[in-house]
Amino acid sequence: MRLGTTISRTFVAMMALVAVAAIDAPVRAQAPTTAPNPTADSVNEDLLFKQDPKIHGRISIPDQKAANLIQPQGREWRLFHEGWMPWIGAAAILGMIAALALFFFTRGRIKLEHSEESGRKILRFNGFERFTHWMTASCFVILGLSGLNYIFGKRLLMPIIGPEAFATLAQWAKYSHVYLAWPFMLGIVFMVAVWLRDNIPNKIDWQWIKAGGGFIGKAHPHAERFNAGQKVVFWMVTGFGTAMGITGLMMLFPFYATDINGMQVMQGIHSLIGVVFIAAILAHIYIGSLGMEGAYDAMGSGKVDLAWARSHHDLWVEKEQAKTASGPQLRPHQAPAE
Amino acid sequence: MLIKRKSGDAGRTKHQAVVAGLAAGTLDRRAFLRRSGLAAGGLAAAGSIQLGSVRKAEAAGSAVSGPDVVIKKNICTHCSVGCTVTAEVVNGVWVGQEPSYASPINRGTHCAKGAAIRELVHSDRRLKYPMKLVGGQWTRVSWEQAINEIGDKITAIREKNGADAVYWLGSAKFTNEASYLFRKLGAFWGTNSVDHQARICHSTTVAGVANTWGYGAQTNSYNDIRNARTMIILGGNPAEAHPVSMQHVLSGKEINRANMIVIDPRFTRTAAHGTEYVRIRSGTDIPVIWGMLWHIFQNGWEDKEFIRKRVYAMDDVRKEVAKWTPEEVERVSGVPGEQLKRVAELFAKEKPSTLIWCMGATQHTVGTANVRALCILCLATGNVGKPGTGANIFRGHTNVQGATDLGLDVTSLPLYYGLVEGAWKHWARVWEVEYDWLQSRFDEVPAQAGRKARSRKENMEAPGITSTRWFDAVNLPADQVDQKSPIKAMMVFGHGGNTVTRLPDAIKGMNNLELLVVADPHPTTFAALDARQDNTYLLPICTTLECDGSRTASNRSLQWGEQIVKPAFESKSDYEVTYLLAKKLGFADSMFKNIKVENNVPLAEDILREINRGGWSTGYCGQSPERLKAHMKNQAKFDLVTLRAPKDDPEVGGDYYGLPWPCWGKPEIRHPGTHILYNNNLHVKDGGGAFRARFGVERNGQTLLAEDSFSKGSDLTDGYPEFTMGVFKKLGWDKDLTAEEMAVITRVGGNTIDAVSWATDLSGGIQRVCLDHGVVPYGNGKARANAWNLPDPVPVHREPIYTPRPDLVAKYPTRPDERQFRMPNIGFTVQKAAVDREIAKSFPIILTSGRLVEYEGGGEETRSNPWLAELQQEMFVEINTQDAAERGIKDGAWVWVSGPEDGTQAKVKALVTERVGRGVAFMPFHFSGWYQGKDMRQYYPAGTDPVVLGESVNTITTYGFDPVTGMQEPKAALCQIRAA
Amino acid sequence: MARMKFLCDADRCIECNACVTACKNEHEVPWGINRRRVVTLNDGKPGERSVSMACMHCTDAPCASVCPVNCFYTTADAVVLHSKDLCIGCGYCFYACPFGAPQYPRVGNFGSRGKMDKCTYCTGGPEPDLSTIEYEKYGSNRLAEGKLPLCAEMCSTKALLAGDGEMIAQIYRERVIKRGYGSGAWGWKTAYRETVAI
Repeated sequence: MRLGTTISRTFVAMMALVAVAAIDAPVRAQAPTTAPNPTADSVNEDLLFKQDPKIHGRISIPDQKAANLIQPQGREWRLFHEGWMPWIGAAAILGMIAALALFFFTRGRIKLEHSEESGRKILRFNGFERFTHWMTASCFVILGLSGLNYIFGKRLLMPIIGPEAFATLAQWAKYSHVYLAWPFMLGIVFMVAVWLRDNIPNKIDWQWIKAGGGFIGKAHPHAERFNAGQKVVFWMVTGFGTAMGITGLMMLFPFYATDINGMQVMQGIHSLIGVVFIAAILAHIYIGSLGMEGAYDAMGSGKVDLAWARSHHDLWVEKEQAKTASGPQLRPHQAPAE
Repeated sequence: MLIKRKSGDAGRTKHQAVVAGLAAGTLDRRAFLRRSGLAAGGLAAAGSIQLGSVRKAEAAGSAVSGPDVVIKKNICTHCSVGCTVTAEVVNGVWVGQEPSYASPINRGTHCAKGAAIRELVHSDRRLKYPMKLVGGQWTRVSWEQAINEIGDKITAIREKNGADAVYWLGSAKFTNEASYLFRKLGAFWGTNSVDHQARICHSTTVAGVANTWGYGAQTNSYNDIRNARTMIILGGNPAEAHPVSMQHVLSGKEINRANMIVIDPRFTRTAAHGTEYVRIRSGTDIPVIWGMLWHIFQNGWEDKEFIRKRVYAMDDVRKEVAKWTPEEVERVSGVPGEQLKRVAELFAKEKPSTLIWCMGATQHTVGTANVRALCILCLATGNVGKPGTGANIFRGHTNVQGATDLGLDVTSLPLYYGLVEGAWKHWARVWEVEYDWLQSRFDEVPAQAGRKARSRKENMEAPGITSTRWFDAVNLPADQVDQKSPIKAMMVFGHGGNTVTRLPDAIKGMNNLELLVVADPHPTTFAALDARQDNTYLLPICTTLECDGSRTASNRSLQWGEQIVKPAFESKSDYEVTYLLAKKLGFADSMFKNIKVENNVPLAEDILREINRGGWSTGYCGQSPERLKAHMKNQAKFDLVTLRAPKDDPEVGGDYYGLPWPCWGKPEIRHPGTHILYNNNLHVKDGGGAFRARFGVERNGQTLLAEDSFSKGSDLTDGYPEFTMGVFKKLGWDKDLTAEEMAVITRVGGNTIDAVSWATDLSGGIQRVCLDHGVVPYGNGKARANAWNLPDPVPVHREPIYTPRPDLVAKYPTRPDERQFRMPNIGFTVQKAAVDREIAKSFPIILTSGRLVEYEGGGEETRSNPWLAELQQEMFVEINTQDAAERGIKDGAWVWVSGPEDGTQAKVKALVTERVGRGVAFMPFHFSGWYQGKDMRQYYPAGTDPVVLGESVNTITTYGFDPVTGMQEPKAALCQIRAA
Repeated sequence: MARMKFLCDADRCIECNACVTACKNEHEVPWGINRRRVVTLNDGKPGERSVSMACMHCTDAPCASVCPVNCFYTTADAVVLHSKDLCIGCGYCFYACPFGAPQYPRVGNFGSRGKMDKCTYCTGGPEPDLSTIEYEKYGSNRLAEGKLPLCAEMCSTKALLAGDGEMIAQIYRERVIKRGYGSGAWGWKTAYRETVAI
């Protein structure tokens, strides 16, 4: 039979190599020498691992990452990615959801406080600002979901929809992750361009924080266009966004800037920040929608209720109104105050 | 226990996909070739590959493994190890390659080249049809037109400039049969300028070894190295040049715990597996060998008994060796005395010891002397003629041994008969042509520049021009070239243009030629490097995988390769093209008198039979095609170490694998071949032998015949001369000849029947009777430590022409200028000028060249194979870390390497490494297609450019020729390197 | 059941690259995809050794673990294979693989990877054994024909051993005992969490 004979032939041939002569050669005493004895000097794995955590050599093909012979760090990365990451991700996201739920059920929705200014609108974000926000936001949602798919898809979705459908989905998720990264990164750049000026931390922020941002108690601390909480969101988004962009670019153009271990670190940072980012944005979404009455309008129509604005961003409203005195200002439903 | 995933499928064969497509007729050979051309897409583009309707796997069953898949065995076309290639062929398409476990030589294995060899056959970069240059443009022509035009042109040149004006450059890639035909074509054309690659690889080995003990070939075999307890590899890197040989070398090293000493200027992949590495300066082999012998003689480690019985004039060597004290050796070569003493002691005492050498020893102006010194080292320690010993010379190309044997050599007719009248008459008898007619084909050479004229007969017996200097014979003034006219036409078969040193001069030569014909599977550098406009032809030749024929491996074993597939595209075999040329030139009928020709293709078997009928001198007489085919069929029966089949086998019983020559007598007497040359522990009928009594019987009162030494079972128990009818008569052995044999001998001998010898007796009777008496037909002589007929009878050290040590030139100058091979060799003048101009100061780095495992020879074929080309994509220079640091050169950076002649320079990548010592640079010699920084890709005919191009090292290499063989000097040149 | 492994005897390996081109030949592997490669350590210095490396078909393979679409599977012979239908070319397996085995054809923009390709131990893929589609996607399936991977079968010095782990370890062990030296079974500790004890 072909199977048996081929295999046995192979091994007989191999065995023959070692079984030709009896072991009769005495081990000769090596004369003391400084001359190279390449056989005796051979490198070995343990020794090389002591010098360097991965074994690297020379290879003639241009693909220099192929010159790494063994990188046991792959196993560590796997431990991180498969052992830790799902738990970290789950903890961050579920933890945030739980915290928001707890907050919602204890504090409830923060209601719009009515005053005589209620009903009057003030332009909070212009069209470009809202475009920037929503472009970035929509990309983020898809990037976040497709990103989470790398960790949780096979655990949650695949058992339900089956491997083929899941692979198709994951393929599209990968494409969207790769392609939507670009508008997302562009959005981050725009955000910095339009909002950086208003997000420089100052003394007022400190006051705002000390006052608990108005979440605790009834009093609204003073705030400019962005309060300290929003500034934190801004810096978080731009900071994390930049980090995600850089690490993501490293993975889009693998091995251009770093070696395998660098890639592993980049991927680790990307996924860690990713889940934290997602968790934080969940809070942002909560406060901008469900958590606070009137907040959504800012990014919805761009115009917010003046009463809401006055209570949350009093200093900004004052500044805006001062501007109005000296120039035209959009007040659709109101005649200018005399 | 090994259990397969699905044992139920074991009956089926591989590549079912392709097989089924072919079997169903949906994929024909042409479509397959086309598809293969698209293989760059390969797996990635799997979806786009349409293989047509395919049978269901479960339905295929044994039908597919049955008649559809044909197994063909041929021999790898790359190096001289002679690996069997097992091909799976379906509908004339080579679809898969399987390990050839049965071959005792490669035992299933291959190197990178062998494992990728299938690509050669369906490569889309092959030359597909004949082409010619018309006004600088490559134009397709028909075979008929090409042969007609070429034939008319060389005939016109012959009429105007003489037969010698056409140079016939053959190939070590020819089969034996094609080599023989090509040499015969040269003879019928009327020139001795028929050469091939052996000139530039081991011509000095052949000359040196043959002049020492009789035959110019590896004495033992790759397999026999398994018996060695000490091996020295000098000037060789088999790990890259002959990887499969390393299977035997390393097994031997392991089984015997053998010493494996590597002596080389470069710490090679081979050296990495040595038990000791000795770094020497390039070109100081003789000081190192004499240095070893100094210790051996000093301590009495030589084999005195062996020397007494079997060596002539060892005392002459002692005198020369005495000059090479450890201090002088270290001064000249850089090798510490202690290390050399240890190596010498191991070689002399831990026997059997073998000496392995390659082109590091041979490619020097002192190549022949190097080789002879190496032989003398073997002789002095008694390491010849026994298992595990010997001069294991690893030849280069697949059939360089066979092509050398069959006379692609400017100094000899086939099988080392030489060019003397007797040789011509012998072959005239074998060819059944008139000697006078052959003579009439040669030129009369007029007297010029003070030299005497040569008659046709004298010209017929004068060595031709060596391939290392063909361009000098084009470029030099007519009166400097000692023939009727300088060379006007080059007929280049299977030979790269970049393998010879001094490429700029070669390009000048190419431009000065009236006609250039390149017959090769690929265009080669010849077709692409020059800027010729017209009168240049490319003839597509198939590889030897696409034709039948035998190849002689380095160990002298002949292996029969069967045609795997028909020649690809419009290519034709060497046989067919030789025939078509002969037909065009008008002598096909007489040249192919005894060779059957079908559809213009001469039958390989018939050619081998003709070789058998004339190949007595080298024992090429017993290897009939039938016997060789039986060997291929019964490969598995041969022993791994002894290479011998069991005596009781009906087809190959008692034979050594491949009937290594000499295989005496007619095939019918079934001589087993000679595994180990000169082994007198065996009966001649078992492959025993003695040193060849080639140099006479006595010199200066000393006998040249062996003393108290003879092969086992010999009727004559002392030395004896070679056998002739005269000797036979004295011994009374003529009575043992049959009537038929006597009739032939009488016909051959005519009036001088006593002169008919073992080598000229066409009946084989003399050899048969010799064997019956247990004697070796060529006699039982002594090996020569003093080869009085050579320029340096006892080898002496001579510095390379361009030496980094000008201080040593006064003491060790190269040989004086003299004329060799119809040309002046002005090495002395060049060396003196280099010293005077202090070349070594401006070019302080020694440049040495060598092989890469992925490529072979000029590299055109292998660089066109993407599987190989991917592995070496850039031409490079190895430069020592310190030299690189001093020059601000980083690993992988572009550098200019410049040479001392004509301001040549080459732009290559730097490979900064400790492989080379300080002051040494190494460049592989397989690259071409760039010239002094310029990419020449556009000059190739469209679609035939190799995947990888690069600078040729020979742009930089310089002057220098061995006086005995015209060997070039690419191993010890000088260069300078600077960042680009 | 057999447990297939590779073992490269670095004291035999001469970096001849036969394993590399045998692989190319057997599977028609395209330019730029290197299912197997040879790395030289300590190049040019005494102690230099070359090691042929491809997918080691690890025990508890990291690639399989990190794959976001679980496209890997292990055969009864312990060969680690994957499905190109499921693979999305994310590159995680390359980060996890200690041996640099996964290869990706470059498709599309910004270095984006096509479906991963790697050494199959000459065992094809999930498609029916010896089918056309299997050959096109993964190359030939020698194991199903009762043959071993061609790289090992063609290794010029028989440095690269393939076959049942116990058997090749035994061959290696005997070699080392006979010759008195051995630089170890490269990668075994990382791939199989074991060494060949001499």
